[in-house]
Amino acid sequence: GLLLVALLVSHMLLTKEGVTSLPICPNGSVNCQLSLEELFDRAVKLSHYIHFLSSEMFNEFDERYAQGRGFIAKAVNSCHTASLTTPEDKEQAQQIHHEDLLNLILGVLRSWNDPLIHLASEVQRIKEAPETILWKAVEIEEQNKRLLEGMEKIVGRVHSGEVENDIYTPWEGLPSLQLADEDSRLFAFYNLLHCLRRDSHKIDNYLKVLKCRLIHDNNC
Amino acid sequence: DLLQWPQISKCRSPEMETFSCYWTAGNFYNLTVPRILQLLYKKSNEEDWKECPDYITSGQNSCYFNASYTSVWTPYCVQLASKNEVYDKKCFSVDEIVLPDPPVHLNWTLLNTSQTGIHGDIQVRWDPPPTADVRKGWITLEYELQYKEVNETKWKELKPRLSTMVPLYSLKTARDYEIRIRSRQRTSEKFGEFSEILYVSFSQIGIGCDHCAEEVEFPWFLVVVFGVCGLAVTVISIMLSKQPRLKMLIFPPVPVPKIKGIDPDLLKKGKLDEVNSILACHDNYKTQLYSDDLWVEFIELDIEDPDEKNRASDTDRLLSEEDLKSHGCLGAKDDDSGRASCCEPDIPETDFSASDTCDATSDSDQFKKATEKEEEDLLCLDRQDNDESLPSLANTDPQRRHRNTQSENSHLWAPFGDSVESPRPSVHTQISNQNSLTSTDFYAQVSDITPAGRVVLSPGQKSKLGRAQREDCTEQNFTMDNTYFCEADVKKCIAVTSHEENEPHVQEQSYNEDGYFTTESLTTTVASLGASTAAPPSSETPVADYTSIHIVHSPQGLVLNATALPVPDKEFNVSCGYVSTDQLNKIMP
Repeated sequence: GLLLVALLVSHMLLTKEGVTSLPICPNGSVNCQLSLEELFDRAVKLSHYIHFLSSEMFNEFDERYAQGRGFIAKAVNSCHTASLTTPEDKEQAQQIHHEDLLNLILGVLRSWNDPLIHLASEVQRIKEAPETILWKAVEIEEQNKRLLEGMEKIVGRVHSGEVENDIYTPWEGLPSLQLADEDSRLFAFYNLLHCLRRDSHKIDNYLKVLKCRLIHDNNC
Repeated sequence: DLLQWPQISKCRSPEMETFSCYWTAGNFYNLTVPRILQLLYKKSNEEDWKECPDYITSGQNSCYFNASYTSVWTPYCVQLASKNEVYDKKCFSVDEIVLPDPPVHLNWTLLNTSQTGIHGDIQVRWDPPPTADVRKGWITLEYELQYKEVNETKWKELKPRLSTMVPLYSLKTARDYEIRIRSRQRTSEKFGEFSEILYVSFSQIGIGCDHCAEEVEFPWFLVVVFGVCGLAVTVISIMLSKQPRLKMLIFPPVPVPKIKGIDPDLLKKGKLDEVNSILACHDNYKTQLYSDDLWVEFIELDIEDPDEKNRASDTDRLLSEEDLKSHGCLGAKDDDSGRASCCEPDIPETDFSASDTCDATSDSDQFKKATEKEEEDLLCLDRQDNDESLPSLANTDPQRRHRNTQSENSHLWAPFGDSVESPRPSVHTQISNQNSLTSTDFYAQVSDITPAGRVVLSPGQKSKLGRAQREDCTEQNFTMDNTYFCEADVKKCIAVTSHEENEPHVQEQSYNEDGYFTTESLTTTVASLGASTAAPPSSETPVADYTSIHIVHSPQGLVLNATALPVPDKEFNVSCGYVSTDQLNKIMP
């Protein structure tokens, strides 16, 4: 009992001294304004975390279910977000306007909202799915929501004019995740996870580029 | 040689802007008509295979795709082919094959040194690979630093970090170090190549401390040595300490068989009276060592024969006096001798500590102890049951025979006793005592050791054994003042019984030589006994006992010669307080 109290007190003292990374700003508070730098820092951290989880989840799935099935050998299917014209190299990323890029980022994030929800629920139906994959799917879905909120805040700050919300790609891959044939179903999962890894990498990269461009003036 | 097909070994992008693919030609080229290998590629959204745009820039057997051909998140497929034949194929996307170049411009600066100058801290800095565009955030790298002393073989690793500088603490200024760094994209697993090695030498900046090259390592050796010494000192001090409690705690005494109530010191110091009385009080082993059957055969007691006391022998008088003295339960001192226990119903435990030193695991000592115990029993029996008859006497016939023989022998004893050598005055007493089984006493304690190596036992209390003996051979009118009840008496009875026809006189003679048996005499007796009787009854066979002293373990005990008599299978045949080693071994585990 005493130990818990001591720990609690010490934690409170430490947090007051600012040992934790960023000050907490409750939602809806008008006076509390995080700087753009802090917003970008949080966004970059989130995007990096999401990409890290997606990468791990893909590797685990690949190891567990894809070995010997020749998924890689099959032609890599395009992802549902391929219709969004995102920069494909550094030059394009540097030339695109930051607002457009932010909008694209938002569009991609919104497009992944739905698939991530279904991924979290459908992956549990894979027989003998490892606990780590299940947990990661749920975590990615949560973090993606948070990143979406943060990006909307950033866009609200950065955007001078109206916010375009029409960049969005619907996802129609749910039936493929529910196929009766296990092989086809697993291939659908494999594809989805592969696309998730790629898109999370894209978003992470774009945000870093934007951060360096907007906050550090191209001098990270 | 195995035919090795051309293979695409790897495809790599150093900065996520360009990429190259490398292949091996195999020995196919040499074996067959040389053909030209081609690398074809195709983006996922295209249908046609295109040929590699640049075979040169990345070296031989490579294909270089510059920035215009590179789309980062677009899936590619490349294949190695020649004309119509496809040898190998790979599909990937550029973001998956990022392996950065090594960092450049490694350098180090001294942060500070320790007071002794033996250790120092340095700060290592480097620049990211020039090809990677970190400034614009296009690629995020993390670095892993490894360092080691120049003559070591194993590199020490630091955790990967994002910053391009890292401190190294507590380096030895007397040694030189090597440092190398490699980088990887932050979300990848694979590292790129190592950078060039950076050499760190403190002597170059004038801080190197050659004379203080001694390293203060933990003095394990000293710790061990001192620890062992301390422990030894502690153990020795505990062993030598006078505090019994502490000693008992650390070194619990090993229980050894001891005679209750007997203080071995008494034996050493020669206080025969006390020991006599003590032994007389204890009858612990009576039932263990003796079966009543034996008593029936051998024992006949006649304690209160006044004639015994009239025998004129020095030993007799001497022993009788001692005997009188030893009848002193009332006069028992309250000391550790245990004699006081005679006066009490409970026999207290004696101090076993002394006997620790006395006890030896040799048979002789055990025998001695056992002998003493028997004598105790004998004595106690004698004392306690003065006028009682042994209830267990069953076979009275041989007893009577014994008595008869004894009575006959008694007369013979005297002349023989006279002929005994002077150095063995006790022999007379012995003989007389032996003759008069009725008044046989048992020796409880060694009172003297003759130069010839024979043991003079002081008379103790008259014991049951003696009485039993007496009952067997009642004709003896000698008063057995001696508590030493010897095989002689028993053997006489036995011998007489078993060899009635065999010149008992002769045998008695042999017996009469000594009150104490020498090995030779007894052996002779035994031999004669053995010869005379084909199968002597086990009960009648004289018990082989220790007769003469073989070794004197002064002051701890005596080793008495065991006789060569065959030991009957009966549990224990005890005529005197002596038990032969064999019997003892049989009895005791």
